[in-house]
Amino acid sequence: MLSSRPPHSFLALLYVVTCMQSVLCLWPIPRSLQTGSTPLTLSGSFSIDIQVPNAPGDLQEAAARTHSYLKTDQLGRLAVGRGASDAAVLHGAKQLNSLHLTLAGSVSKVQSISSEAILPLGSRSEEYMLSIPSTGGTATLSANSTLGLFRGLTTFEQLWYTTGETIYTLEAPIHIVDSPAFPYRGLMLDTARNFFPVSDIKRTLDAMSWTKINQFHWHITDSQSFPLEIPGFTEIAEKGAYSSSSVFSPSDVSDIVSYAGARGIDVVVEIDTPGHTAIIYESHPEHVACFDASPWATYANEPMAGQLRFASPATTNFTTSFLEATAKMFPSSLFSTGGDEVNVPCYDQDEETQQILNSTGQSLLEALQTFVDTAHGGLKKLGKTPVVWEDGSTELVSIGADLILDHNVTVANDTVVMVWSSSEAAVGVAALNLHMVHGPSDYFYLDCGAGEWIGADPDGNSWCDPFKTWQRSYTFDPFLDLTASQQHLVLGGEQLLWTEQSGPQNLDSIVWPRAASSAEVFWTGATLPDGSPRNVSSALPRLHDLRFRMVQRGINAIPLQPLWCALRPGACDLTA
Amino acid sequence: MFPKSTLVVFATLLTVFAPVDALWPQPRSLQTGTTPLRLSSGFDISASSIHNAPTDLQQAVQDAKTLIQTDKLQRLVVGRGSGDAAVVQKAHTLSKLTLSLGKGAIANSITSESQKAPEARDEAYTLTVPSDGTGATITANSTLGLFRGLTTFTQLFYETGGTTYLLNAPIHIEDSPAYPWRGLLLDTSRNFFPVDAVKHTLDAMSWNKMNQFHWHIVDSQSFPLQVPGYTDLAAKGAYDSQSVYSPQDVADVVSYAGARGIDVMVEIDTPGHTAVISQAHPEHIACAEATPWASFANEPPAGQLRLASNATIAYTAGLLTAVSKMFPSTLFSTGGDEINANCYAQDVETQQALNATGKTFEQALDTFTQATHKALIAEGKTPVVWEEMVLAHNVTLSNNTLVLVWISSDDVKAVAEKGFKLIHAASDYFYLDCGGGGWVGENPDGNSWCDPFKTWQHSYSFDPTANLTADEAKLVMGGQHLLWTEQSGPQNLDPIVWPRASSSAELWWSAPSGNASADLDTALPRLHEMSYRMRQRGVDTISLQPEWCAIRPGACDLTA
Repeated sequence: MLSSRPPHSFLALLYVVTCMQSVLCLWPIPRSLQTGSTPLTLSGSFSIDIQVPNAPGDLQEAAARTHSYLKTDQLGRLAVGRGASDAAVLHGAKQLNSLHLTLAGSVSKVQSISSEAILPLGSRSEEYMLSIPSTGGTATLSANSTLGLFRGLTTFEQLWYTTGETIYTLEAPIHIVDSPAFPYRGLMLDTARNFFPVSDIKRTLDAMSWTKINQFHWHITDSQSFPLEIPGFTEIAEKGAYSSSSVFSPSDVSDIVSYAGARGIDVVVEIDTPGHTAIIYESHPEHVACFDASPWATYANEPMAGQLRFASPATTNFTTSFLEATAKMFPSSLFSTGGDEVNVPCYDQDEETQQILNSTGQSLLEALQTFVDTAHGGLKKLGKTPVVWEDGSTELVSIGADLILDHNVTVANDTVVMVWSSSEAAVGVAALNLHMVHGPSDYFYLDCGAGEWIGADPDGNSWCDPFKTWQRSYTFDPFLDLTASQQHLVLGGEQLLWTEQSGPQNLDSIVWPRAASSAEVFWTGATLPDGSPRNVSSALPRLHDLRFRMVQRGINAIPLQPLWCALRPGACDLTA
Repeated sequence: MFPKSTLVVFATLLTVFAPVDALWPQPRSLQTGTTPLRLSSGFDISASSIHNAPTDLQQAVQDAKTLIQTDKLQRLVVGRGSGDAAVVQKAHTLSKLTLSLGKGAIANSITSESQKAPEARDEAYTLTVPSDGTGATITANSTLGLFRGLTTFTQLFYETGGTTYLLNAPIHIEDSPAYPWRGLLLDTSRNFFPVDAVKHTLDAMSWNKMNQFHWHIVDSQSFPLQVPGYTDLAAKGAYDSQSVYSPQDVADVVSYAGARGIDVMVEIDTPGHTAVISQAHPEHIACAEATPWASFANEPPAGQLRLASNATIAYTAGLLTAVSKMFPSTLFSTGGDEINANCYAQDVETQQALNATGKTFEQALDTFTQATHKALIAEGKTPVVWEEMVLAHNVTLSNNTLVLVWISSDDVKAVAEKGFKLIHAASDYFYLDCGGGGWVGENPDGNSWCDPFKTWQHSYSFDPTANLTADEAKLVMGGQHLLWTEQSGPQNLDPIVWPRASSSAELWWSAPSGNASADLDTALPRLHEMSYRMRQRGVDTISLQPEWCAIRPGACDLTA
């Protein structure tokens, strides 16, 4: 009689299909990846051995977190049956007992992850090598820095699934050689339109680190509120924060900076100037022009109006001083002075500004140049590299970059320009021969598509409609229309959350897993490990996997599709 | 320097002009004064005049007392109401709220009142809060009305420095809903939602006086409902053994909803949206998981009930009957949307059945629908269908069938002209999922099919009787917001639903003037307060604006 059981070879065939699915589940996918088809289970006594002399505390803590995730992720494989059928092949599989961490070469002095993470862009070492033999036993992770070891640990965590009590991978041997394609891989959060407590920021930093994002761009203040308590300038937050509990104290800042650093993330703070500063009026009315002027739409891109009176030497000095005081709170080599959306009518109507311009004979642009030069000069003395927004929205603003370039070419060379108005603006920035970070609204703005938030405008939509899907962001080309000789100017990019319609309530769901899109664009670069172009169809199953892992770790990442689709890679593609 | 008296006048004026009531939905009749009252530490709510007060009313009283103590909502003004402390300290205290039923009214449970047919529900109440601190009262002719009054009462209070207070006594409210159907649809099939998430949503609905939970419980992607006698459907069609609603879960949700003034209408969408039934019963499903899916269904996976098969008709009628016994509501939705003709055209069994009986597809659909509806009517249910059953097909429906308009608000008139009672659920106003981008894979430039995102303002500006004659307008039962969950799960349930769904809750309860711009001006500050109050109660409502705007009513209006 016929056996009801399929022949053994048929089972083996199914197993191959299984492997091909799960091998794809690293995010961002490493630059070089070789895998086999041997199952391995994690030993109950699995240990991570740090074979690094004088291992810094943050490396030890990182290893402990990895060890903990291995146990607590409890992620069932995203396949019909959630991996329950893997139990059969896992029975009797070899065990992995340990992961050895070593630093390559002769490292004279071992630095902490935190100190490696805040090195200037271009001098950070994030590369690592990870090997897991098919025979089990010991896996090895080596790197040139503790930061590289940390990136490798992050990858290692993503290799494992759980079924029943068993933690396993199906693809040993695994050999990974990995390093980022771009040095700047960021996420921007605006904590001024609505406030976010420290715990929400830390949770976001955790999720960022899992996707190897290494820059937290903290748009910490704006016209609506000033939650940053700056030593020597505490009156600004005292009068400008939403409430006394909606404040980041110096100890909150250092807590966040060190939490980020231990997770391989540098914190670049932005104090947006001279626009986006209305709330400074509450403590320093003398420094703010057109405060709360009405109709706001004439004087600002959103309510409320108010900008630093930059033509005034007193205001320039005040600004430079509090920027310097802020810079001392953040160890990063980068500091953003903003510079977007400067509104000209605000200054045209401001008597004080007009009087000063008349008496000095300066044009508004010349006064802005003086202001930017002075502010940047103060920051540079503190060792900071200035970061500014590109701005294509007014005549004045594209000048932010022009000014620096015209005034002192050698200074301009290291200024970093953030492209935001449109991906097309990158070409203009490249023409100025300035380094750039991609943050274009048409690809990377996480807030787009959520409708109008301005009142009394029932038919208004999001200014940057439509919603930027992960797929849209994922198809971004960092080199756009740049010439080959301009490509070195691209430092990387970031997704951005402006928070007019966000708060702690929807932080996770509006950011994740979408922000992982650019994390892979800028880590992996244009090609997959097999040399084929990066593409949305092979990315989707991996991104599902990352999203489910994030949910297991307590992040409220949204489903990208019905679970039916997530369990059946490709089945919900457009032409499937 | 200002003389002291000027300062006092100035402060008082500010208090008067800033918003001092956060009622949502706005009562139909509301008179308020300017006298502050603070809540006594011994404040109590008494229902002792109600003979044999049902337990769900007693529980509602307890819940209201708790909310009043725990809301701790600070007024949404600059300073968050800290300036109220002085005036509140000298105010009379309010120590009691008394509930009573009108003469001859019977104290049925809130649950049983909620589960009556929509037009038969009595939700009216009268609420008074005297300015001298003597007791407040709520009177109604049903426990459901008392419950609505309690909901309003909990929204009267703010907190500052440990004191719970209001600023606008005396208050006199005469209230009742403009429309009997004020709903929310949740799809628990595309992605699963645990019972806790459903209950959490029911709580939030009740605070908005919503009274109809439209539970789109199954669909082609998964079948989480465990139906007695048909347990193989969930056993093979649920995402996993934890992603299931057992009969006990259903009873739990239904009674939780009922105690909160909410009726649960279940939907078993037929004959389309049923692919997953093929896991347990391949014989009943045409074109199961056929590819390319786009030729056989509006979204993957394809698969529809073999409506021309007598066996499938009998099976479906039996299934619907069994489901209907799980839900005490008088309403039952059989769906009927997005039937794919090509699926049946390519299905050999369906074509054979049609040939054998000499029926057209439309005639077979009519037979199928009549049979399933007859089974439900025999159970005392009123059938509810999506609009295609009336507008796209030639199906005989009983006169009292309710029709959900979803494709477009432009279709309302056509449904009304056919004489059916209708429920507004138009995608162009009320779909909460719109604007979330394309979710189908390998489609990087795909956007939401129903772009753009429906803001609360857009939903709020909907006119329920636009283009209808006076007689047709009587057919409008109300409406609902809807969440289809291709891109939602428990992770974003709160922020994608709230406070936007509050927008239509007020539309159907309060029937705003129809002057959209005037209505929106007064609505936004109240909706902010409702949203902040919901947050205090643990619902993750999204920010409608920067907080700077929320505490300065009107300052962020388009032309401010």
